[in-house]
Amino acid sequence: MTIHPTPTVVVVDDSPSVRILFERGTENLDVNLMIFESARSSWEYLEGNKPELLFLNIKMPGKDGLTFLKELRELPLHKDTSVVIISSKDYAQDRTIANELGAQDFITKPMPIKAITDVVLKYIGN
Amino acid sequence: MSNAYLRFWGVRGSHSAPFASHLGIGGNTSCVEIRVDDHILLCDAGTGLINFGNEMMKQKDIREMLIILTHYHWDHICGLPFFVPAFVPDWNISIFGPGIKAANIEEYVSAQMKAPFFPVGTETWLAKINYLPPPQEHCFSYGPMNISYDNVHHPGITYGYRIQVRGKTILYISDNECLYLDKSIKLKYGEVSPEEQVLYDRMNKEEYASEIKLIQGADILIHDAQYTPEDYQKKRGWGHSCFIDTVNTAIDAGVKELYLYHHDPNYDDREMDSIYQHAKDIIKQRKASLICHLAVEGMIIDLE
Ligand SMILES: [Zn+2]
Ligand SMILES: [Zn+2]
Repeated sequence: MTIHPTPTVVVVDDSPSVRILFERGTENLDVNLMIFESARSSWEYLEGNKPELLFLNIKMPGKDGLTFLKELRELPLHKDTSVVIISSKDYAQDRTIANELGAQDFITKPMPIKAITDVVLKYIGN
Repeated sequence: MSNAYLRFWGVRGSHSAPFASHLGIGGNTSCVEIRVDDHILLCDAGTGLINFGNEMMKQKDIREMLIILTHYHWDHICGLPFFVPAFVPDWNISIFGPGIKAANIEEYVSAQMKAPFFPVGTETWLAKINYLPPPQEHCFSYGPMNISYDNVHHPGITYGYRIQVRGKTILYISDNECLYLDKSIKLKYGEVSPEEQVLYDRMNKEEYASEIKLIQGADILIHDAQYTPEDYQKKRGWGHSCFIDTVNTAIDAGVKELYLYHHDPNYDDREMDSIYQHAKDIIKQRKASLICHLAVEGMIIDLE
């Protein structure tokens, strides 16, 4: 018998309401949800762990999510980590950068709860 | 002239506007000098930088400066290929801007000076050019100036700068679309459940609080105010503010003096004056103490 560990979904976003949207969007899924409010506070975890799916906001206090993703991609551990960008910045240039950095998807804020459920299911299944 | 001042060398956004009908306000793109004693800080390197460089070549005392770039859109870097001090050996020029390492800044700045777009590259710059690596805490100092930066709402990674000097706080936010999320929420509000509406309201408040925090404590705020409400309707999502949003946000944040900046190149002096009158009307109607100016090329603000 093979035991599949519960997949980990990490969210890096400073917004408390986004935290609630993610908690609601994943409550019926078998995932381990971890939420950090900044690139810096997530670093200790991400430096040594590869989540099954990583959500990054762009405009946050401190380091922005795209610069952070660029740094993460330089680590062998995160060369191919699945990343979805969640941002209010609905701009073509941000999408292009996200795409160049290998982000799988780009969700614009505000997003309904179902959009979160759908994208988690799309990239990690359940 | 006082030993500490701020001077606008370029006040336009998007592209230069060297048209007779526009020259009361000025036609050059983004460039602001902050001078304290012999220390020179330049915010952005649009076409305004060219004239500044020519002026610098007329004096002999200063040979050093720091240029901070908000981002690498053309209107903010296109003065560099024509910036004479960079081509002269005894100058020392530091450059800072978005990037994960100093080499990124060099890469972005030199990209515009490559064939077939420009006849000579940055390797022909004879000045000592020092690209600054990103500091750990998003802040650093230059002479008596303390500089910090934050991410703003504009396509790609764009910084807004906070400069503290001589007891004054100056905020330089050339390109920033105020209240973008607020408008996105209004567009989607009717399509979601009451629970989501409550969360969207919270998200909106959080975003506005962060917009206020960005500019709070400013004695002088130089901020994107590119569009009239009519043009903003057509250009929402281009990364620039409607001047009404800029004025209202500055009032809410308790800013002391606001300089409307990054003017649309399509607006002539008459249109700019009508924007200015409208901005003053808003302040009057709201009974606010905000002092509002139009940034005008050549304008000097005493910082003593
Ligand atoms: Zn601009
Ligand atoms: Zn721009």
